[in-house]
Amino acid sequence: MPKEEKKQITIIEVGDGAAIPVKSDQGLVSAWWLAFVGAILCMAGLVIFKSDPYWRILKFLPDGILVTFEVTFASIGLAIVIGLFTGLGRISPNRAINLVASTYVEVVRGIPLLVQLFYIYYALGQFYAIPAMAAAILSMSVCYGAYMGEVFRAGIMSIDWGQTEAAMSLGFSRRQAMFYVILPQAWRTILPPVGNEFIALLKDTSLVSILAVSDLLRRGREFASSGFQYFETYTLVALIYLVITLILSRLVGEMEKRVGKYESR
Amino acid sequence: MSPDDPIIRMEGVSKFFGDLKALDHVSLSVASGEKVVIIGPSGSGKSTLLRTINQLETIDAGRIVVDGFDLTAPSVDICQVRTELGMVFQSFNLFRHKTALQNLTLAPMKLRKTPRDQAEREAMALLEKVGIAEKADRYPAQLSGGQQQRVAIARALAMNPKIMLFDEPTSALDPEMIGEVLEVMLRLAREGMTMVVVTHEMGFAREAADRVVFMDEGKILETGHPGTFFGNPTHPRLRQFLSQIL
Repeated sequence: MPKEEKKQITIIEVGDGAAIPVKSDQGLVSAWWLAFVGAILCMAGLVIFKSDPYWRILKFLPDGILVTFEVTFASIGLAIVIGLFTGLGRISPNRAINLVASTYVEVVRGIPLLVQLFYIYYALGQFYAIPAMAAAILSMSVCYGAYMGEVFRAGIMSIDWGQTEAAMSLGFSRRQAMFYVILPQAWRTILPPVGNEFIALLKDTSLVSILAVSDLLRRGREFASSGFQYFETYTLVALIYLVITLILSRLVGEMEKRVGKYESR
Repeated sequence: MSPDDPIIRMEGVSKFFGDLKALDHVSLSVASGEKVVIIGPSGSGKSTLLRTINQLETIDAGRIVVDGFDLTAPSVDICQVRTELGMVFQSFNLFRHKTALQNLTLAPMKLRKTPRDQAEREAMALLEKVGIAEKADRYPAQLSGGQQQRVAIARALAMNPKIMLFDEPTSALDPEMIGEVLEVMLRLAREGMTMVVVTHEMGFAREAADRVVFMDEGKILETGHPGTFFGNPTHPRLRQFLSQIL
């Protein structure tokens, strides 16, 4: 049965992190530029021409932005580790490991993130109280670990089984083949969707504001309720989230372009 | 193990894929230095048979002994046995993220802890041998099919195997590239390597084989020296098969 050497075409479901770029986005006036320049001009205009209260609000928020990034980076780091093991577990020939990993993914994906946050902080907190920040990072990484597991699984499965067979025929164990041959190839497929998960996670960190973690949204809430300036505050909060995610989605897009084929190095 | 013992001994090997009997009580022995060519129609079980020798396919019944190691024994270290069995695949399966040279050095460096400079020296010598040393720094995607398969042969040789297994090594190649791969295989055969080759290249079978094996429906139907095998086939299925492909 002669078979053509298969071209590796991999489609990984893109999360809600960033819009999928299409041809028409490539021009100078793209939706991205419109949104980005619009958001920056809007912010600058408000702060300059109506510095009270906007400048006061803007000065109040950086601590929150920092916390948002802290939660995001800590959670994504943990989620990648959890995701790697979950992905490996999901493709493990060992039934027990496979079942544990698959059940984890099913359960976590079936419960809303907000409910998971409540559960870990308030419900489990009844038995063993943990700090809000730790609860936030734990919930986010447990939740995103499950999604990340699917990304890793898809990335690993996108590598032709022949690569594993070739490694095993040389004397590598399955685990060594994964480590030396499969994962070094799979990261190229894995990286872009991980970038998308990163953006989605950053946006979802706004949920941790309900746990008394002073992230961007929480800081905004504190300011807004102290002076009843809801419109002004949440306008700025929304614009800041928008600018951050637009920058990140651009970075992910560039990364996607650069993660090319081996011959183009 | 006495020197006369076969280096590969398969006894009553059976293998099922679901309800399909891929191998049906197959017995085959290969002596050290012998070249055995396996031919047969698609789905006859010839690739499966080859792949059971290094346990890329496990077996459901029977016994396989390779170089004194009983592969069905639970204590056998299959990774160790596989280092003595070089394998060449139909679809090359070169490591796509490694250059030709790195494809050759990976296993010796990681599994035998060969120092890099020594591994690279030996790898270059092997690439020289398959006539592709000038492409050492290319990635597989930059090489033609024939070049990739020659690198794949060199990679399999890098662990100094006692036996080489070839699974339809030229079937995925454009016709003009088949010759360069067969040439390398012929040279290897002349040097005395033990080889088991699944192929449709009857020219190679005639020239290199000590013994040709015909398989159909998971069974070995006829075995013989290439002269008598092609000159005077006895089994009607073999006669039919040969008339179709020659």
